Amino acid sequence: MLRERPPPRTDGGAGLGSARLRSALRLLPKGGVERKAVDAGEIDAIVDYANSNIIMFPLAQRALRAAAKGATSTNREPAFQGLIANSVLAALPRTDYEQLLPGLEPVALRLGEVLHEEGVPIRYVYFPVDCVASLLTRTEGQRTAATGMVGYDGMVGMSLVYGVDASSVRAQVLAAGTAMRMPVERFQDEFRRCLPLQRELYRYAYIELVQARQAVACISSHHLDQLLARMLLMISDRSGSQDIFLTQEYLAGTLCARRVSITLAAATLRSRKLIRYSRGTISIVHRKGLEAASCSCYKKIETLHAV
Amino acid sequence: MKRSSAKSKSPPDGLTTVVVLRLYVAGGAPNSMQAIANLESICAEYLKGGHKLEVVDVLEDPRRAMADGVLVTPSLTKLSPQPIAQVVGNLSDRKRVLLALGLKADVA
Repeated sequence: MLRERPPPRTDGGAGLGSARLRSALRLLPKGGVERKAVDAGEIDAIVDYANSNIIMFPLAQRALRAAAKGATSTNREPAFQGLIANSVLAALPRTDYEQLLPGLEPVALRLGEVLHEEGVPIRYVYFPVDCVASLLTRTEGQRTAATGMVGYDGMVGMSLVYGVDASSVRAQVLAAGTAMRMPVERFQDEFRRCLPLQRELYRYAYIELVQARQAVACISSHHLDQLLARMLLMISDRSGSQDIFLTQEYLAGTLCARRVSITLAAATLRSRKLIRYSRGTISIVHRKGLEAASCSCYKKIETLHAV
Repeated sequence: MKRSSAKSKSPPDGLTTVVVLRLYVAGGAPNSMQAIANLESICAEYLKGGHKLEVVDVLEDPRRAMADGVLVTPSLTKLSPQPIAQVVGNLSDRKRVLLALGLKADVA
């Protein structure tokens, strides 16, 4: 049966996938047949190699959701939203994903919520959907430094992958949103059983390791305004939003800097019309400019996902 | 392998082997469904069983799409006979699909 041709899309649409869709669209060859087909509205999904993900166009996604709702309980399609929302889960074959699904529960995470405390046994692992968690390593007293950041690209609770039950870092929510969580006992069973899950998490473990190394090198050798630019870009990429709800005091804690230094760095970026901020909200107004203002570590970390 | 089932239409020049096709789709999304329907219609009319079609759902196995270098779905690849050819989109442009399949454009 031939279906009516859907109307051409003008943009990535609103919602969770839009930022990722736009960045995936940018990677299509200019003037290529793929772009022409996208412009003609003939494409349902883009393969996002950077994040090992399939990104659906909003129209296609809505059609799939509608089809899943219309299906009976016995032949119901799996939750496509969950399938594409986290890169680790998205890269699993559907049968493996379906086996994981009963053990996953969506949770809303608040800004500042501590998911794992350093040295304390892990109770749940988290697969972020549109929230971002910062991995903080304590330096002295209560001072910490951000040595990692986990968004839809990974999982919080990676020490379990190495066979260690307690977290080596404090994992704290940097951007509020939702995540899929799984009790640790269930995760350990699934991790032993599911080879594709092992493969994806080992791959992510490598990314996290290189990211931590790069963060150490970055903190010790780059200016604070470059660090701040990198941090804001990374949060924005992972939350899919240009608005970041963080106070400068909180940023000072994660960047191991004094609050006044963060204020100066933020003022520098604002004077260059790259960001604006007021009362706990920082907005990126000129993304390309902010990328240019950040250090080379940002590009290095972001291209890691293509490994 | 020689084709044996073309009766009503004489096969175009060079179409002496089975045409091996692979169509990448995204589940039951509209363009993917349309691409399947369009391709089945073209195959029924011009290839008459002298083809092998594999439909790959990239939502079921995203790694497969990446391993095969697929950028978007729906996307059709003609693997055999050589040369390999690709058409992206919902395959509603019949002339373009026929060209990619190695069938003469004037049959469109």
